[in-house]
Amino acid sequence: MSDAAVTSRPPDRAANEPADERRRFETLALPHLGHVFKVAVRLTGRVEDAEDLVQETYIKAFGAFSTLREPERIRAWLLRILARLAVDRHRSPARELAVGDLAQLDRFSLYDLIWDEDPLPYSDHLHRDFLAQFPDEEVRRALLALPEAYRVPLVLLYTEDLSYRDLAEALGCPVGTVMSRLHRARKILERELWQCAKRRGFVRGHGT
Amino acid sequence: MTRISCEQAVQQFFAYLDRGLSGEPLDDLEAHLEACLACCDRLAFSRQLDAFVKSRMPDDAAPAGLEARVRQALGRLATET
Repeated sequence: MSDAAVTSRPPDRAANEPADERRRFETLALPHLGHVFKVAVRLTGRVEDAEDLVQETYIKAFGAFSTLREPERIRAWLLRILARLAVDRHRSPARELAVGDLAQLDRFSLYDLIWDEDPLPYSDHLHRDFLAQFPDEEVRRALLALPEAYRVPLVLLYTEDLSYRDLAEALGCPVGTVMSRLHRARKILERELWQCAKRRGFVRGHGT
Repeated sequence: MTRISCEQAVQQFFAYLDRGLSGEPLDDLEAHLEACLACCDRLAFSRQLDAFVKSRMPDDAAPAGLEARVRQALGRLATET
């Protein structure tokens, strides 16, 4: 189906032909299922949760299908619905508080801590070699430790390479909020990786 | 152009990496980076960390039954309304 056919459709036909409407939605939206799922797994960390989130996204998208203005941008539209569901679904006061003291967080520097402790004295690429020690599952666990309000913009940035303006539109918040969340999301990640390095004995981390 | 401190420069790193800086703030940061090796090194680490986390994110393909499950849910929805 061409985009022109989609946009030029008379608005009253949808109500008369619900089966056609569903087929039209499926034809446009289902080719993006794999990508939407990939983002969902990155957001939830679990295949089962990602499947639920994807199903919820498609149901909500179908309900709002008549409001889609640019069918050629349906993937971005689906991801916007997914992102908002992901933020809303898990929003809880406890998760927000987990971030802790923001001023202290902003000062946190993994770069400085690695440099100060120098855990790999024979390395010519200290910071790179430090990171190389982490198994995949620890990096994923660190990402999941982020509250959703921080994880969702970061995952969208990393996966979709969106501009701040597009992220703000996707998340329904001001650009300034996106910027501060992405800043803090990375700081929380740095802190989580440092804690993990201590747990695994990569560093001593005295006094941190 | 305004001379900025290392502390001010570091505050702009993520916006710089995300291509979210323009105009004078971008010029100020680039001028600082040209003169400050320590900040270049810090910026390189921030870039490295982004690439590192990106490369370690899960990359699962959708399970085989998911499309059918979504089609079914949409079908149920259509018959309910």
